[in-house]
Order: sequence, then C-alpha cells, then structure tokens
Amino acid sequence: MVSAGLLDATVQGLITGAVIAGGALGLSLIYDIAEVPNFAHGDMITVGAYLALVFNNPAAIPFLPAFGSVPFALAAVLGVALAGGLGAAYELAIFRKFRHRDADLITMVIVSLGLALVLRNAVLFLVGSKNIQYRTQSVVTTDFDFLLTRGGVTVVTTQRRAGELVTTGEWGYPWWLVVAGLLAAVGVGYAIFALYREEEDFTTVYLVPPRILGAAGSVATVLLVGAFVRLGPQGTDYVLGTRIGLNVKHITILAVVVAAMFVLNVLLKTTDLGRAMRATADNTDLAEVRGVDADRVQLVVWVVAAMLAALAGILTGWFATNLTPNMGFALLLPIFAAVILGGISSPYGAVAGAMIIGLSMDVGVYLIPGSSTYRVAIAFVILIGVLLVRPDGIWGDV
Amino acid sequence: MSERDTPTSTTDATPTDSPEIGDDRDPILRVEGLAKRFGGITALDGVDLAVDPGLTGLIGPNGAGKTTLFNCLTGFHEPDAGRVRLYDADVTGDEPPAVAQQGMVRTFQIPRELAEMTVFENLLLAPMHQHAERLRGAWTRGDRFVEAELAIRDRAREIAAFFEIDHLLDEPAGSLSGGQRKLLEIARVLLTDPDIVLLDEPLAGVNPTLERKILGRIEELVRDGYSFLLIEHDIDLIMDNCERVIVMHRGEVLTTGSPADVQSDQRVIEAYLGGDDV
Amino acid sequence: MAVADFVITLLTFVAIYSLFGLGLNLKFGFTGLIDFGHVAYFMIGAYVTVVLTMPAGPAGYGGIGGFALPALFGALGPLGSFLGWVLGVAGGMAAAALVSLAVGIPTLRLREDYLAITALGIATILTTVVNDEEWLFNGPFGINTVHAPLRDVFPVGLGDFTLNMAVFGVLSLAAFGLLGYWIARVFRRRGRRGRAVLGVLVPLVAVWYFVLPTLSGGTVELTRNALWLFDPTAGPEGGMDYDRFVLLLSLAALAGGYWLVERTINSPYGRVLRAIREDEDVPRALGKETFRYKIQALMLGSALAGAAGALWAINIGFIAPDQFAATITFYAFTAVIVGGTANNRGVILGTAFFWGVRNGTRFIDVPSQYSIQLAAARLMLIGVVLMLVLYYRPEGLLGEQEYEIPLPSRDGSGGTDDV
Repeated sequence: MVSAGLLDATVQGLITGAVIAGGALGLSLIYDIAEVPNFAHGDMITVGAYLALVFNNPAAIPFLPAFGSVPFALAAVLGVALAGGLGAAYELAIFRKFRHRDADLITMVIVSLGLALVLRNAVLFLVGSKNIQYRTQSVVTTDFDFLLTRGGVTVVTTQRRAGELVTTGEWGYPWWLVVAGLLAAVGVGYAIFALYREEEDFTTVYLVPPRILGAAGSVATVLLVGAFVRLGPQGTDYVLGTRIGLNVKHITILAVVVAAMFVLNVLLKTTDLGRAMRATADNTDLAEVRGVDADRVQLVVWVVAAMLAALAGILTGWFATNLTPNMGFALLLPIFAAVILGGISSPYGAVAGAMIIGLSMDVGVYLIPGSSTYRVAIAFVILIGVLLVRPDGIWGDV
Repeated sequence: MSERDTPTSTTDATPTDSPEIGDDRDPILRVEGLAKRFGGITALDGVDLAVDPGLTGLIGPNGAGKTTLFNCLTGFHEPDAGRVRLYDADVTGDEPPAVAQQGMVRTFQIPRELAEMTVFENLLLAPMHQHAERLRGAWTRGDRFVEAELAIRDRAREIAAFFEIDHLLDEPAGSLSGGQRKLLEIARVLLTDPDIVLLDEPLAGVNPTLERKILGRIEELVRDGYSFLLIEHDIDLIMDNCERVIVMHRGEVLTTGSPADVQSDQRVIEAYLGGDDV
Repeated sequence: MAVADFVITLLTFVAIYSLFGLGLNLKFGFTGLIDFGHVAYFMIGAYVTVVLTMPAGPAGYGGIGGFALPALFGALGPLGSFLGWVLGVAGGMAAAALVSLAVGIPTLRLREDYLAITALGIATILTTVVNDEEWLFNGPFGINTVHAPLRDVFPVGLGDFTLNMAVFGVLSLAAFGLLGYWIARVFRRRGRRGRAVLGVLVPLVAVWYFVLPTLSGGTVELTRNALWLFDPTAGPEGGMDYDRFVLLLSLAALAGGYWLVERTINSPYGRVLRAIREDEDVPRALGKETFRYKIQALMLGSALAGAAGALWAINIGFIAPDQFAATITFYAFTAVIVGGTANNRGVILGTAFFWGVRNGTRFIDVPSQYSIQLAAARLMLIGVVLMLVLYYRPEGLLGEQEYEIPLPSRDGSGGTDDV
C-alpha cells in the first residue's frame, strides 16, 4: 500500500504548529502588552492540563476523592476557567507589584522563572511524576490514501477496526475537476482579497488582513469541493501515492486554535478593552494619560493568557495522550521560537510563527532520517537562522 | 587642557577640495548626500555640509533631522546613502566605536550616565586605548599599568575640576542632578581626546546660570583647539555664540553661514515661523 | 555517618557550584548577559576533561577517546599524572570557551530577552546531541570511567595512627581557627542587624556541629567532627581520605576562580564590562568595541563553568547527559541573585544557601513514598525565596560588591576608586 510521505508530514506539522500556536497566542499577548518574556507560560500550560484533569479524571490524583468524572469537553471548560483565576492571582500577587516598581525586563524574566519553579513543583507535589491520561473515548484514525493516476486522483480511506484494516470509502476526482477546483480556489481567494481590501492609510485596521482572508477562502474552497464533489475512483494504478492519517483530534485541535486566534483578534480589534490593550502595548504611560486603566488591562491580559495556556495544555495532553509535569516546559522553547519568529505583536504573527515552527519540525524530521530526537533543535536552527538575518524577527518588533 | 592647534577663524563657507591634510582651513567633517529613511518617513534627504574647526551650531525646527544626523554620523544608524568623511578618512557606515576611535564622539540628548557607577568611574571609562582595558593587561598589570592608570585619574580629576563636578567624584552617577549629568556627559566625551564633539542639546532644560557656565567652558575648549558641532533649539543662543551656523529643515540643510547671514535668510525665518515647530 | 562527612559532601558541592556561579556572575552580574545556557559549558567541561583523562576505549564505552593524559605523564610520578589531569581540565575549559564563542557570535547581537531564549535553546540542543549521539560521548549511558586524579595516593597517612591524628588534627583545628578569625572580623565590620544574624546563626551551627553529635555519639563523634580532616577508618593507620582531598581541590579551584574574576573586574577592563551592563551605547559611543568584551566575558565565564564541570565529574565519579538539565542554570541564577548580583562573595553565600536548603532538608524524616513531594516542596520554597528576594531586596543579601583597583597610594584626597 501507499506509505506516508511529505504531505502527511506537512499535515502533522500543521497539527504540531496548532498545538504550539495555542501556547504562542497567550505568550505573545503577555510579551507584547505586559512586556514580560514569561518563562512560567510553559508551566502554566502544564497546570492548565492538570486543572482539567481534576474534573475529568480525579481518581488519578492521589489526594482527591474519586468523585466521578465530568465529560472531557466540560472538564476542559472548567479547567480553562480555573486557570483564568490562577492567572489573575499571580498577576495581582506578583507581576503587578513588580510592574509598580518599574522592574526591568531582566528582573521580569527572573521573576517569571521563579513562578515557573513554583508552578511546576506544585504539580509535582500534588500529583507526582507518573504519567496520567484523560478519560476520553478512543479516537480512530482514518488513513486517506491519495493516488495520482492517469485519470485523475483516487482517494481510498481505511480505518483499523478491531485490529483489521477496513476500507471505508473510495472515490476520486478526474483531472478536469482537479484543475477546475484549483482554479476556483484561486479565483475565490483573489475575489475575496480584492473585494475586501480598502484604500489603506494609517488608520486602516483590518479585523482579518485581506491576504489572510483570501488564502483562507482558497483553502476553504478546496476543502468544500473535495468534500462534496466526489466522483468515481479514477483507477488504482497510481504514478504517485501518499497517505495522510487524520482523526477527530487533529481536526478539533486545528479548529479550536483557529477559533481562539479569531476570538482573540476580535477582542483586540473591536472592543474598547482591546483598544486599551493595544494602546498599552504601544506605550503604557501614554495610554494611562489617555485614561486607560493600566492595571485593569494587565489583569485581563494575564487572565486571558492563562486561559489560553490552559487551553493549549489540555489540547496537548489530549493529543499526546498523557500528562507529565514537564510537558509544558518542553513546549516552552518551540513556543518562544514561534513568538519571536512571528514578531511579538499580533495573534496572526504568533500563529504564523507557530505554523512555521511546527512545519519545520515535522517536515524536517521527515526529510532528515534519524533526526526524530532533534525536532526542537530543528525549530531552533530555523529561529537562529532568521534572527541572524533579522535580529528582531521576521516582521520585526513593530 | 592638552596642547592643541589654535583654530583659525574661518570665513570661507564653501567646502574646499584641498588635498592638503591637516591644513587648519580644511573642514574637519564633510558630509555628502547623507540620506536615511525609516519605513516610509524620510528623516534625512541628502544632507551636504562641512564643519570647520571651532564651534559650529546646528539648528532647525523639531523633526528637522538633527539627532538622526548625529546618529548617522557616529554610526548608531546606518545611512541609506551618502558619505561621511572625518579629515581624509571615510567613516561612512562605521560602527560607533570605530567612529569614536577616529576622533568623532557624541553626547546624548538625554544624558546617559552609568547610574550605578561613580562619577569618577564614569570618567575613567572614557580614555581611549587604556593599558589594562584589554583582558591581558588587566591580568598582568605591571608598572606601565600603574603609571597609565594614575595619569588617567589625574586627567579625569582635572576635567572634573574644569567642569566643577570634582566634589562629586565618589557619588554614584545616578544621584546627580539634571544639570550635573549634562556636565558629566560633556566631561566624559572630552576624556576620549576627540577632534570633534557632537553635542546633542547640551543646553536644553538647563538653568541660565548653568547655561552660561557650559557655554563658557565650551568657548574655552574651542580656544584650546577642540571643535564642536552643537545642536540647540534656542536660535538666539546659537547666533550669539557660534562662529558658523548650519540650518536644517525637513531632512535637508537649508543654509550654512555666519550668524548674521543666516539670521537674514528669508527661508530660515519661514522655516521657523511656518514650519512644523508650531 | 558523622556530621563532618555530610558537611564535607555539602561543602564540596557548594565549592563546585560556586565556581559555576562565579562564571555566571561574570556574564550576568558584571556584564549583563542573560546566559540561560550556562549549564552547557558545565557539561562540556565535564565531558571533555573526562574524555581527555580516561584510558583509551574502556569497556562499555563507545564514544571518542579516551586520551589518557594522566597516564601519558604518569612516567613523571604521581605529580606528572596530576599534571596530566590539570591539562585535561585546561582542555575542558578551552572547549567550553570555544563552544561559547561559537554560540556567542550569532546570539550576542540580539536583544537581551532573545539572547536568553536562544541561549537556553542552544544549551538544550547541545544536551540532546550528547544524549543522542552515542559515537560522541556514549550517549545516554554516560561515562563511569572518570579519572580521579591522585586517587592511588589516598588515603594519605604519615605512618603512625597517633602521628596522623596529631598532624591532621592540628590542621583541622587550624582551619577552624581561621574560620573563627574570619567570622570575628566580619562580625566587627557589620552593622547591628548583621551582628544579630551572625550572633544567632554561628552558635546554632556550632551546636548542630559539635554539641548535638556529642550528646548522641559521645566524644568519639565530637573528635571526628572537630578533627574533620582526619578519618580514622581511612587505611590501617587512619589518615586523610579522598573525599577530603576532592574538597580541598575544589576549594583551591574556587579560590583561583575567585581571584581571577576579582582581578578581571577590578580593572579598567572591568569598568568597560560594567558600563556594558548599564547601557551598552555609552561605551560604544566612547570607542569601546563592546562586542569583543561581551564575547570575552562569555568565554571566560564558560571556561569557569567548564572547570566546575571537571570537578563535578571527579566528585560524582560518573557523568551522564541527564545531570546537565537546564534547571541547573536556573539554580545558579537563583544562587547569584539571592546572594547578590555582581558580588562574588554573594555568589558563594547564595550557593551555600541554595544547596544548604536542597541538601540540608534531607535530615527531615519523611516516609520514602513522599520523597518526590519533599523535593518539589524544596524547589517551590526556592522559587518563592527568589521572588521575595527580587521584590524586597533586589540587590540580594550582600548587594553589589565594591570595586577597587589597587594602586600604590599617592594621595587620599577625593576620587579614590572605591564606591
């Protein structure tokens, strides 16, 4: 049969990127507005994952009575909410005090390091170091085999059920449809871009930049056409074949992260609070003169960032199928790499940086045999390479 | 103060292309077509100027590009186009240390004292090519080091006394008042033994007594052979004290000449009255 | 185990990590470089020294080397063998310095926060490389054939039990005398608060070290603690054992490192480093090529970390990649900040505090199933202390040190160099 190839590595890279993006959204928010390179963010990811565990699988935590189990989705919501409370707590107890002292960047780094020590070891103290899992339904992975034949593209889907490989679907797209679909995608993308773009000046603030909206439109067109216009198989005698394994986890993670990015973006760009946040990021003193309550803005920032961290932690724990006290810290480096790459001042930048990092990790591991333990190293080589050319990140520190 | 050539008064406004090096009438600093853009904003738009020995004033409304010019001259910004020549040496695009080593140093608009070091240490930092400034010298030390260090200390005390901050030598520089910081800033660059000092608004926010003091010291230093390019907002101050004046406006040199010439120049008046200063 | 043995183990730890911390202080405290990858140079120093000094191709080792430097010079007797080890350490330090040079050239141009993150990333990568490439240094299995310098010479004895006890006993008591003299001097110089702290701490430690063991173990314990250099069970006639030698070696290395850093800092060179820390544009505007200074400070600090790594290897007798996790760097930062950033004595004090808390709590009796909890609680405590110190005493326990360039005095009036 067909084996997984570059395309699969790309898809996996996007998923990895989405997991990193979950963390990068919160980190970039703190980095940009609170101006703290928060080394505790990784451990907040861990804490968030364990907070959801408290509701989902309390039996796994030694000191808790086994009071039953809440469905995973609800547990995730509760965990995220609790994490928001914790974020408020450490902003009020720690970071606000240092901010009022005008602590410099280095001090903030070290303070966040101290908080990181406390958070990680609190998890270790309360739960111990064993591997724990969420109680969720097991997820079946569907393998999509894409076969390029003389007649067009054939898709065969298979699943493993009770140890047996079962073919669950077989369809195809003749070449004319492939070409037509791609043309339609380009057309739709460009049309959105052209229609949406306005005359630009200094005050132009797009909720979604037209280029990104256009690209999203193109991708959506391809997916819609692919999903709904399924014709007969175009033969199995393939010239080129590749396999992509997908399951509901992958789709959920991508969807949740894209949704989080969008919500954060709406918050930042359409609400008064968001405007206050962006003003604070530009110049805290000036924002205060203009009547922005900086403490309130910062509180919101830390709460939202903690919630995003928890979200990332829950997704990571679910995706990797187990939770360890080290899981967040292990993610911290790729997340920092993503945030710096994307420029620290926009949610889109953070997600774009995360996607670049995720792709370079998985595609790099695929292209360089025997490099699987160097996933993070590959991300860092990319980061350092970029910083060598542009010391302030791809888009600079705007 | 160290022995120096006496500067000759220069009336010749146009830069000469005389190949003779070291001729007093030669400009110290010559700038041709210097340009700098930040994103879409043109900060310097082809600046041509020449600075002769002595005290030269640089005036212009806010946003005229004066500080950007200083940054480009001393290597803190890389210019997009143009040349900067210090005597016969091309220092265009050199890093700040290289520019300073060739004899052109600058002060900062907001004095940047090293707050946690003492005033004395701030001064001792400045002299060039110190014996134990290199790692090996610091480790080995030796008689030459002692001699050199003592000489540097003497000179630092001398300059501190000249600027009347010698009673503050052992204070942390962070405890100085605003005016004392300005004095320290000028004293410090002088210890590098420069050919030309670019002073970025040393008189801004300074009380009249201190202003007279600083101007008096600068005049004395000019007599000793130092040269200065002085940014100042107060047009009258420049007119009263400088031998020559350069006027900048919107990233360009509007005019150059003696205070009297400049004062009567219609464009200068327009720039100040109708410019972005309001 | 006598209290003396515990103290010797603890002091050896403190000496080694203080040397490591001095290297960090040079980078972070005096020059302002946030090197979150400091532990990488500790690791490189340890590995390169071990590989240079161990015999070629020992059993169970599949990496490069060893190069058996001590054996090479062994023909010159035990001192030759020791010289071989010293050369190995020099090699380890040089390797650490060179790697930091390679790391520093691209990263030192970056913003300070980006430097911190990339340094952490590179250190993590280096540990991964050592862990995954078995052909290099045996990968995750580590190296257990660490050459212990002068191991054969110990236990050192002078022949007769009584003579041994007398000689090493006198040396031990002399050390206590020196310590007492130093404490008295510090006591006299301190203000009232410092005197109160010392007045409480010193008797407490003395009671713990001398009185409690005597109550539980009688005069035998008292003798063992008082004559700490002498181990009656080392060899047939008693003597000084190898652990004590490693302690002395570590203390000597610490003293050497301290002297070197002090000499570097208290000089015109050091003035430039501190100027870079405060505002790099100022020395640049004054014609100092600050990049070179930063690279040199990085290399020198890394070389000191490398020397600490070499000592660590002989102290533990076995090295493996998992000993060099990024947390070690963070512990060193904590020690430097708690003791006093830019204060070399503070580094030693902070390291003693840190490892005292970490290792001293082992006297608390907890059931073994709670050992993880105890370890976690210690680190939480350290994290809390770090934040409290940063808030209430950001300059650390001792504050920034005073600087003085010693010169033959000429005049005492105005403008001496000390703060």
